[in-house]
Amino acid sequence: MFMHIYKYRLRCLARDREMVFWTLIFPLILATMFHFAFDQLMGRQEAFRPIRTAVVASDAYRQNVAFRQALDALSGPGEGQLIELTVTDDREARRLLADGAVAGVITVGDPIGLTVSQSGIEQSILKAVLDEYAHRYATVTGILEEHPADPGGLLWELGQMRSYTQQISFSSAEPDTTLNFFYALIAMTCLYGGFLGLRNTTDVQADLSPQGARRSVAPTHKLGVVLYDSAAALTISLAEVTVLLAYLMLALRVNFGNQVWYVLLTSLAGCIAGVSLGAFIGTFVRKSENAKTGILIGTTMTMSFLAGLMIDTMKHTIARKAPVLSYINPAALITDAFYSLYVFASHRRFFLNIGLLLLISGAMCTLSFLRLRRDRYASL
Amino acid sequence: MQVFKAYFKVMRASAGAISIYIAIFLGLSVAFSLAEAPQEAERFAQTRTPIAVINRDGDASLAQGLAGYLADTSRVVPYPDDPEKLQDALFFRDVEYIAIIPAGFSADFLSGRDCAVQNVTVSGSISSRYVDMRIDKYLRTARLRHQYGGDQSQEELAATVRADLAQETPVTVLSSSATNGSERGFVFYYRYFAYAVLATIMMGVSSIMMAFNKPDLRRRNLCAPIPARSANLQLAAGHTIFALVCWSVLVLCSFVLYGRSLLSSGLVWLYCLNTLAFTVVSASIGFLVGSSVRSTGAQAGAVNVIANGMCFIGGVFVPQSILSKKVLDVGRFLPAYWYVKANDAISGLSRATAGALLPIYGDVLIQLAFAAAIFATTLLLTKERQAE
Repeated sequence: MFMHIYKYRLRCLARDREMVFWTLIFPLILATMFHFAFDQLMGRQEAFRPIRTAVVASDAYRQNVAFRQALDALSGPGEGQLIELTVTDDREARRLLADGAVAGVITVGDPIGLTVSQSGIEQSILKAVLDEYAHRYATVTGILEEHPADPGGLLWELGQMRSYTQQISFSSAEPDTTLNFFYALIAMTCLYGGFLGLRNTTDVQADLSPQGARRSVAPTHKLGVVLYDSAAALTISLAEVTVLLAYLMLALRVNFGNQVWYVLLTSLAGCIAGVSLGAFIGTFVRKSENAKTGILIGTTMTMSFLAGLMIDTMKHTIARKAPVLSYINPAALITDAFYSLYVFASHRRFFLNIGLLLLISGAMCTLSFLRLRRDRYASL
Repeated sequence: MQVFKAYFKVMRASAGAISIYIAIFLGLSVAFSLAEAPQEAERFAQTRTPIAVINRDGDASLAQGLAGYLADTSRVVPYPDDPEKLQDALFFRDVEYIAIIPAGFSADFLSGRDCAVQNVTVSGSISSRYVDMRIDKYLRTARLRHQYGGDQSQEELAATVRADLAQETPVTVLSSSATNGSERGFVFYYRYFAYAVLATIMMGVSSIMMAFNKPDLRRRNLCAPIPARSANLQLAAGHTIFALVCWSVLVLCSFVLYGRSLLSSGLVWLYCLNTLAFTVVSASIGFLVGSSVRSTGAQAGAVNVIANGMCFIGGVFVPQSILSKKVLDVGRFLPAYWYVKANDAISGLSRATAGALLPIYGDVLIQLAFAAAIFATTLLLTKERQAE
């Protein structure tokens, strides 16, 4: 009996072209859009470029040898180059600034000043550079006034430019914000499996569709029918998500880490959640077909939005500001499962996500079955 | 006027589905404009990188002094010493730099042993260099003061270092209005305007056309004693009024949300012109969709794919400056690209000189040309279908 119902359910669902469009083609199109939109950002580091700066060639500048040397050291080509220097007159410097060709103009005087046209990180770095010069000047003169014992050693130490920072890493994964968009997209696709679950509940309830009426008359056990239908919906949903995953991994080269089986496990858990969500809405919302679809779309979109489908930092904001929401939102759980696979070496957080996901799905399934069973109809 | 009246009766029936895009757009805009902090344009504001400072060296004055210095010069987001939470924060850019002062750091530093502040950051990024500079500066100054500045306790050392680092370079800001434009709220509003207006008008116009194109209804209308030309003109008038209403609702909302800053920018009429051109484009696309699809399912699919696709590739959702050249080359074939291009140009204007305005007028004309082309194609397609 299982094979019979399962097979026909599969055909029935797979032939619903509109449903295949929304659950498979639409996510594929979105994935392609994401890819094009983030093409330039993906996997690329936020590289540092030397800051283009102009300095006004005044007499004060020519006479201040120490400052000129400091600037030369900072603008020398190589790994540590911080600024790209143009020495020019006052008028030209202002023109360059107005055109945006330089980020700031340095004017040597007492004190040394900076002219900028806007506030930003480059301008802030320039200011920090000039601050540093002023600070070192203050330190050195301060020390020499009080303890003029060893000026040679002092200058030697000054020239050392020792670095006191050491970069470490919590994880081997490069933090790439665009990944979360793709993770949230998969979560959305998993939850779109809800369309299949929703259709199943319509086709099994005698008061909603002629098919439901016919099937209610059949002597098959209701639990069996519901389970076989769900198995078919799950099969299709999982197949669609797998196609999407393959497309993301092979064609668009999105990085999921090297743990294919865990990725598939996440997709399976996600699809179960999706189908259960559809079944849940299908049984508990007693409204028209359109209203149910609308509610399902609204729910999945809200969940995906909170998981970061539209704004990449949304998931983290929710996790910080309203942590409960991120534990009960299936889309956030799926997204976080992919994220923890990518970032963390241990699977503790991953299995927490999967466990919660299955728990939520189990609850939704049980509730819908309790609602469906023992339905009796006086006439059909 | 029967057709014209019927138009708005049909419109009322599907008002929910049509207004949903405007409602979502306005909801998000309100949320963003509330979240946006008021900005002072005239004064220089030093960038304060969001960082997390983990001080494992406890009460040592030098470590505390360093943490205090970082707190004064950056924006410290409080985080517990938990690698998992910190990793999350860095991945989602809640902080861009995590500085860890190891246990025993101050003692090691003062006795001259090798020691370093550990950092976790996006390697090679501009903000990581910025914070690195600050840490190095603090510790280099401390090194000089400690080694050559005579005997002093750790507390005194920390205080002297802070005194040395107190001086600030004077910064003058030259005509800031030109470049601060990209940070103003209404710039984002008018960029996303394209999505809202496109989706809404496409949905509205195509819904009406599908209603009037139902075969039976259409046949009956053809029998009616109203000339076809008059009926079509009334439909066109309906489309025009609907599009204008959508446009004015969105423009009015921008006044409500950003009133003073928008009006004082003096760019309102340019924004109006550009959005109006894109409204015409949206209506023409709606016309095309309405005459090509049959079922509501296909309609929803077409609206979503066209609106999302055009907005992604044209640079509405992701700024054009971030898009790769390949994508921009493709985007040129979409009206949304020209809308965003004009919009960016308008936002970057400091004063409306004739030379600066010409390219904007060009972009607007290109949009209108797109609209005309789409409109003509649709008429051609319907003509052919009628002939069959």
